[in-house]
Amino acid sequence: MKCRMDPLAIAAAVVTVVFGAAGPLAAQQPATQAPMNMANMDHRGGIRGTVRGANNDPVVDTAVTAVDVNTGARFEAMTDAQGAYAFPALPVASYNVTVVSAGLTAFRRQGVAVTADQSLQLDITLDAASAAQAADAERQELLQQVADLKQRVTDLEANTVLSEPETRVRRVEVFVDENGQEHDEQVPGSKRVVTYQRERVYRRQTISEKVEEALAAAEEHSVKIGVDAAISTQFAKRTEGSDPLIDDHAYALASADLFFTAGIAQNTIFFADIVALSGSPPDAEIQSLTLLNGYTARLERQNELNLREVWLRTELFGQRLALTTGRLDLTNYFDKNALANDESTQYLSDALVNNQMLGLGSNGTGVAAEYDPKNGFRLKFGLQQSNDEATNLSESLFTLSEVGYTFTPFALPEGTYRLWFRTDNTSDSIRKGTGLSIDQKLTNAVGVFARYGTQDLEGDGRDHFWSTGVGFQHGVIFNPQDTWGIGYAQMELESGDREKLVEGYYNLLLTERLRLSFHLSHVLDSPAGGDKFGYLLPGVRLQAAF
Amino acid sequence: MFSRERPLVIGVLIAAAGAMLAGRTIGAQGVKIADPTSVVMIVNRDSNDIAFMDIKTNKMIGNVFLGNNVNPHMVMMSPDGRYVVTGGTRANKAYIIDTRTLQLIKTIPTDIAPEHLAFSPDSRWYYQGNPDGDSISVIDMQSLSKIKTIPGFVEPLNVTFLPDGSKAYIGNYGAHWVGVVDVRRHELLKKIQIGSMPAVAKLDPQKYLGEIKGINIAAPSLDGRYLYAADSDLAIVGVIDTREDKVIKTIRVGRDPWRIYMSHDGKYGITANNGDETISIIDTGSNSVAATLEAGPAMTGVNFAGGKAYVISSTSGFVYVYDMSSLKPAGRIRIGTNIQLETATTDTQDRKIYLAESTNHEIVIIDSKNNSIERVRNVGLFPWGTHIMDSKDNYCH
Repeated sequence: MKCRMDPLAIAAAVVTVVFGAAGPLAAQQPATQAPMNMANMDHRGGIRGTVRGANNDPVVDTAVTAVDVNTGARFEAMTDAQGAYAFPALPVASYNVTVVSAGLTAFRRQGVAVTADQSLQLDITLDAASAAQAADAERQELLQQVADLKQRVTDLEANTVLSEPETRVRRVEVFVDENGQEHDEQVPGSKRVVTYQRERVYRRQTISEKVEEALAAAEEHSVKIGVDAAISTQFAKRTEGSDPLIDDHAYALASADLFFTAGIAQNTIFFADIVALSGSPPDAEIQSLTLLNGYTARLERQNELNLREVWLRTELFGQRLALTTGRLDLTNYFDKNALANDESTQYLSDALVNNQMLGLGSNGTGVAAEYDPKNGFRLKFGLQQSNDEATNLSESLFTLSEVGYTFTPFALPEGTYRLWFRTDNTSDSIRKGTGLSIDQKLTNAVGVFARYGTQDLEGDGRDHFWSTGVGFQHGVIFNPQDTWGIGYAQMELESGDREKLVEGYYNLLLTERLRLSFHLSHVLDSPAGGDKFGYLLPGVRLQAAF
Repeated sequence: MFSRERPLVIGVLIAAAGAMLAGRTIGAQGVKIADPTSVVMIVNRDSNDIAFMDIKTNKMIGNVFLGNNVNPHMVMMSPDGRYVVTGGTRANKAYIIDTRTLQLIKTIPTDIAPEHLAFSPDSRWYYQGNPDGDSISVIDMQSLSKIKTIPGFVEPLNVTFLPDGSKAYIGNYGAHWVGVVDVRRHELLKKIQIGSMPAVAKLDPQKYLGEIKGINIAAPSLDGRYLYAADSDLAIVGVIDTREDKVIKTIRVGRDPWRIYMSHDGKYGITANNGDETISIIDTGSNSVAATLEAGPAMTGVNFAGGKAYVISSTSGFVYVYDMSSLKPAGRIRIGTNIQLETATTDTQDRKIYLAESTNHEIVIIDSKNNSIERVRNVGLFPWGTHIMDSKDNYCH
């Protein structure tokens, strides 16, 4: 028989099912509320029983302890003459029940559940088995405590952080429309504008990270001070010539440079170098063509502070072009030969530090421009007042130009090759000079250098200078950062004066800030129309830089 | 003809069709990444998430939030592509994400400050370095559980597995040795000292006692036979023969080498020498320095692409470029000013570099073909690093 249900009946059935089901739920609510109200009432339970010994005798006047597992609440009851004890009104909870006898836990039962309005019977027998069980339970509890403690220490170590949100200011580009309204994205008629906006930084930092950051920020805004102090001692032993006054003499020259550096604008720094020198270099007595102690070039007045350099340097055009202007030593920016360019860490003789044909004797006001696209090529140009006595720049103008290229020729390591040109109008005519400077590594440990320079004497011939040498690092050394080298320099002037100089040095890095170097040089001069003279000069230089 | 079975059949068919449609919809919605090689992963330190970017469209696919104050450090995909993992430095936990669904499926407690990590080649083991805990957490990727913590390291930074997965080598930044771990037993077997202290060390206690800068990573040669480990304080690279686990040569490089990065053809390794702002290019054929070239300050990474090396100078805003055939400088790319560059990964075609730039919360894509750059902004807060499956330049700070 086919059964068709009437749609109305179906709807009625659905309503009945839905609301019918809801009806009892609604009706049970007071019932479910009732137990909740009951639970709020102070219903307690209890534990009672007896404590007996192994021989079944009652244990009298002994404490039975119940400790709430969750709250740690502690309850205590004493046994009477029959060994009976009772906790008549314990809060509903789970308890650890223990009996201590003669200072030892003789019984322990964990997780004894106390329910409302019921008194639990717990009869205790103090025997060897219960004592062993209690000891084991205590050991487990102790181990758990150690584990918990370890985890807490770990958490403490890991969570000692500053976790509050911090802020930082960020440079942002926004778009401002004709009405002055700011938009994150470009809208018609808007212009791109750079502004600054604070943002929150959500990072947890440890205290040490925070302190480091603060120190770095403070240092960034401070004026940095540097010191370069050196004392060089040399002895002169005559090897050629007959001047009785200059032989077996000792010389010492102390120098201290104080540097100040500060960042004053984007990619712009200020630098000042104040120097003071004291002492007598061999150049005070030995009239060689070149300085036997490179520091002598800095000596203007004994024991007086001298503002050696003070300049501003800024970098433009994606930091490809660096401009330096102020009082400077222009030769510092040119012919920067990697193996023979520094009297404080390499050779002491000026002939092996500078190209003598650069021809600039003193510092002065000037500008140096360096273009370095970081592709190996470098272009440099500079001009400087060459004569402090001059009343105008145009009559005491010294210019230098240089092109340099760094590459790795013939499967050798890197080498830098430079060509320079200079002019100087200090004298009546413009004197011109050209030079070449090469430093080329042969291996990671050994490199060679060579320099050549010549100057045109405007119809009176030419002066010539050249030097060459070999330098060592990373090998054949006592300590990893030590360097040493041997160099030879020769100068031939149109006037007929000649000089040949050879020097070897070993530079020992004692600490990051302290160097000790040993030098041995020999100079042989042949003055035009004068007597040839030669000296052997052993020396020691101690240099501190920090 | 109407039968009593017809409504039942229709009902079943409708239900089946509905279920199929529903299943298909759920499935399509569930799978976020079908091809694990198609994404760039970005670890965002401050928004505490891992973001996923489509490598073809440069559009963000999604991100996985890890939790407040997690500060994830390095992200890596398992070699089989199933999982993406990261260590939460400030949460002391490892996080495992399902690659297909981008669901965070497991959080595993580690030791203190988990940072760098590595997978065994068979994807079975995930070694999580804990530099502040001086340990490695070993996570079994089958059971997705930590099975062991290997103690005994000193600020372990990076983990390198041998290609056969038998041993793992751990760079200890707080010491001058590389740890050798037996992967079968997950035990520290040996300590390979890279170099001895110079004789003048005792004259310079400030340098050697004040702070130690040891070994960041032991980076493998192409065949895994040799490892190259740069020691920052000693300014050397030790070449380790993995058959004998001994240093066969030390190579002196520039000052304070942060670590070594191996070129993709295996011919060269480059150390980023932050002490003198140079790079040393090591010829792995002769194990000698082929060139030392000027670079920039605070270098955090080296990537290789298009026959060039790209050296990230984090504070200058520049990436320095070097031609690896002529070993000479090839310019530098200006990413921006007053910004902080982090680390980068290279795509598997060795063409594009994905560089994290944290100041503006962006990824900068460098095309090695013409050194042009493209920016993908708002990838998350403080992107710290990137990762591409099978890239040869997957590294962290």
